[in-house]
This record gives sequence, structure tokens and C-alpha cells, in this order.
Amino acid sequence: MKQLYYDVKKCLGCKSCEIACAVAHSLTGELFKALAEEKKSLPRKKVLAAGGKNYPVSCRHCEDPKCVDACMSACLTYDSEKGIVQHDESRCVGCWMCVMVCPYGAIRPNLKTKIPIRCDKCKDKDEPACVKACPTGAIIWQEEVLVEK
Amino acid sequence: MVKQFIIIGNSAAGIAAVEAIRKRDKASKITVISDEEYSAYCRCLITAYLSGEIKEEQVFFRPQDFYKANNIELLLNKKVARVDPKKNRIVLEDKAQLGYDALMIATGARPKFPELKGIKRTGVFGFRTLKDAQNISGLLPVTKTVCVLGGGLIGLKAAYALKKRNIDVKVIIKSRQVLSQLLDSEAAGFVQQRLESHGIEVLLGQDAAEIIGEGDIKAVKLDSGKAIGCSMVIVGKGVSPNIELIKETQVQSNEGIIANNLLQTSVPNIFTGGDSCESFDITLGEHTINALWPVAVEQGKIAGANMAGDSLNYEGSVGMNSVEFFGLPIVSLGIYKIKEGNAAVEELKLNDAKRNLYKKLILENNILVGAILVGDIKNSGVFLRLIRERVDVSPFKSELLGENFGYPTIKDFVKTKERFYV
Repeated sequence: MKQLYYDVKKCLGCKSCEIACAVAHSLTGELFKALAEEKKSLPRKKVLAAGGKNYPVSCRHCEDPKCVDACMSACLTYDSEKGIVQHDESRCVGCWMCVMVCPYGAIRPNLKTKIPIRCDKCKDKDEPACVKACPTGAIIWQEEVLVEK
Repeated sequence: MVKQFIIIGNSAAGIAAVEAIRKRDKASKITVISDEEYSAYCRCLITAYLSGEIKEEQVFFRPQDFYKANNIELLLNKKVARVDPKKNRIVLEDKAQLGYDALMIATGARPKFPELKGIKRTGVFGFRTLKDAQNISGLLPVTKTVCVLGGGLIGLKAAYALKKRNIDVKVIIKSRQVLSQLLDSEAAGFVQQRLESHGIEVLLGQDAAEIIGEGDIKAVKLDSGKAIGCSMVIVGKGVSPNIELIKETQVQSNEGIIANNLLQTSVPNIFTGGDSCESFDITLGEHTINALWPVAVEQGKIAGANMAGDSLNYEGSVGMNSVEFFGLPIVSLGIYKIKEGNAAVEELKLNDAKRNLYKKLILENNILVGAILVGDIKNSGVFLRLIRERVDVSPFKSELLGENFGYPTIKDFVKTKERFYV
């Protein structure tokens, strides 16, 4: 299954990925119309700086996801075939348990919609919007690689 | 050999144990016993059900065919009277006996009712089961005012749900602040203000002395002598674990059933988890009960695996609560108040009343042992990770409360090696 990797040497911190993510998850899918939407679409990825480098942070779809264990409404499930944490928003009550336990701080609460925002790997599209939007190729979308632990 | 597993309790810990066993063992017999009439539902969601935010069917956290699909025998409305570890069997209240190879005690807890005159009256409710919520909900059309006893999570969640249903709510709290088991007084002030601005009346430093009425409830009399008119009382004065079934057996208990690092009790083929389990707490450094949903799931998962022959290590629990009242999110992790005179302890604080923001981190010898986050709870999982892994935060202490803080700041200091940043 494909995962998102980041070549941080290339990341300029321009936040094009954040904007592309918010637009891709808006109702209209277009930047200027998205800005006018009543419930503004928020980016599911955040670029944070540390030690002079920039790090895009978003859900890693962990294989043993703590968020799924903590979810009290069973709106989160792990789909092992697709390698993705699925979020059934219709069951979600906005209890923020997933936010509280995510070891990467990759899930953020949207207080307006009472739904947590998290990367869904743009599951309906061939490639995540952030990958397309990155001007330097810092975001890599490829089959999972095993790194020695 | 086909084994018989018995799980007493059909909630977070029990279901997690069942799933962990089935992941490893498809053949053995599993029997789940519950003294309630429902298939597995989430107690934490009865607030959302009572408030009308979700429908009743949404409280069930596994599909109705869960038991059949996993080949599990489900016994509902059955209460276990006692465990007989010497004979590896349990005895139900109806005298039926069942033998086991491994047993999971995930019996949970029940509300504590204070010894008050009138506490047995009709119209006095605990707020723990779906039945409680249904009974309370059924009376709301003829209810104008409700007194809630207790300003903990249960009391305040009940108050919140009732207010959403346009009921007048008065919360009577013995302590000088709300949520005194989770928050310091400053954070509690933010919560109290939010509740009051939405019309919930909060009475601090007062206790109920009597519930007055002939037949129906008329009022709650306070220790000050004042009486508050109401027709319903909801009691949120804490819970006590359901552990009578192991009394006078070799299974050791204190306040709850004592579990080791395998979630095993003092009898090796008996395990425990959830609200009945007293396990090691990472921040306190001693055994305690952390009666919380995510803790119960984690314990059930490990206990179930170990029942099926694994030997997974449970590192311990951390107190962790997430709650939101009228758009104000609150997370409390680990230790929330420091003991006076401990020189090794340091507090980092941010208090911005204008933006409704309050954050406090408690460090002990530069190790994060507690956090309170009000208004902005992002990164709470990162703080929890620092607490769990007991990371020395000195290299990035000044950044902890900054806007740019997040996982990248701590990534070189935590246990698991990074594989996403190349």
C-alpha cells in the first residue's frame, strides 16, 4: 500500500500542501469558492518547523492505531487492506479521544463542525492533493518501505 | 484442545478482550456475561443520547451480529454471584455454574449514592447505564428542574445533556470548584464560566442534606438549610468497582482488583481490566483505578491476548480525560495538581482569558507528568506521549507551549525511530 513520505531537505515550508489539502476537502474543490464556504475546509496537514527544518505533519495511518482503540463511538476503523484508518463521520460525536491519544498530534479538532480533521490520503483520487501541490517534490507518495527499527 | 474463556462484562474492556482472543484463537469457546439487557454499548455516549445529539442505536459500538460473527455466546441479564478460583468456575445469581480455563473480570463499576434521607425516592437516578438515560429521558416532558449532585465529569455531562433538552439544571458541588478530580481551580473557572453562560446554575461549596418529597420529589435541601425546588435528582458522586464476586477468594483486591503487568490477577488464569481493575499508573508510580474508556480498551486488548497465551506487557495507565462543554474543549492528562513543597516540580502555564485559552504543564525533574489544556487541545496526544515515555524535555522545554510546538520538536527524543521523514 502507498504511504506519504517527506524529504525534509526539500521542504521550504511554503504550505502549498496545506492549501491544496483544504481545497481538495472543500465542498466545491476550488480555492476561491472554498474560501466562501460556510464551514470552512481546514487543512488536514500542518507544516511545523523544528531544528531549522520543516516537517509536514499528518495522519500516518498507523498499523496499530491508538485512535481506533480510543474511539468510543466506533466511527474509526482500521482497514488493513487499504492501510488506512477509516472515519465514518456520521457516527462521530466529536469526543476528541482520538486527538487526545494521537502520538503524532496529527489529528486536530474542528470545533465548528465537531468532527476531527485528519488525512484520508485523498482516498477517492489516484494521488493525494498535497503530493501534486508540492513545488519541490518534498512529498513522496510511494509503496511502503521497511525501515530497520 | 478447545478452551473455555469467560468474560464477565460486555463493555470496553470485555469486548476488547474478546477481539484479542479471537485474533489469536478462532476455535475456543468464549462466553460473555452481562447483567444488562443490551449488546455492547458505550456508556460515555449516553450523554449524547440524552442530549438528543445522537439516536439510541448510535450508542452501540459493535454491530448487532458481532457475537454471531465471532462465535461468542452472549448471556444477558445474568449476574455473576461469585468466582470460585479453586474449581475454575463461576456461580451465577440464578445458581447456574460455568467452568473456565481463563476468566476475565471486567465487571465495571456502579454509581455511589450518598447516605441521604430520601435518596431511595423515585426520581433519584445515577447516570451510568443506557437504562438510566432512557428513564431520565422518559420523564423530561414532565420535568422542569433537575438538581445534579456532584460536579465531576458524570454530573457535568448530565447537566449539559439536560440543558440541551431545555431543562433547568442546578449542580450542587461540595468542592470549591468543578471537576476537582481533573482540573486545577484556574482551569475549572473557565469551565464553570462556560456552563453558567449557557444557563446551568453551579452551586459551589454546598452539599445536599436531604431529598424532600412525599411520593414525588419536591426539593433538595442543602446543608446550609436552603431548599432548591426540583422534581428529579441525578447523582454523580463517583463510582465504586463491582468486585463483590471475588470477595473471600484468593483474588487480591484493594479498591479494585489488583492487576500485574500482564493484567493478570493474583490467580494466574484470572485477568482483569476496565473500571474494576487497579493497575500501575505511570504518573503516580503506584496502582490505581483509571476508569476511562481508552484505558479499558487497552487493558482488555492486552488481557485478552494474554488469556490466549501471549505475554504482552502492560506498561501502565495514565489518567486521561477529554470533554467538551458548549464548544469549550478540555483535556486533562496525568497529574493535575502538584503537592506543595516539592522542589523538583515545575509548572509551565499560559492563561489567556480573552481567547478562552488555558494550558498548564507539570514537570517533575524535567519529565512531563501532567497537562491541562482548555480551549486548544491540539497536540494533546504529543503531551500524552511525552508523559508515557517519560521523556526528558529539557532540550525543548521553552517550546512546549509555543504555537509551533508539535511532534517534529520531540521526534528525536522519543522511543520509536522515525520512518516518514527521509
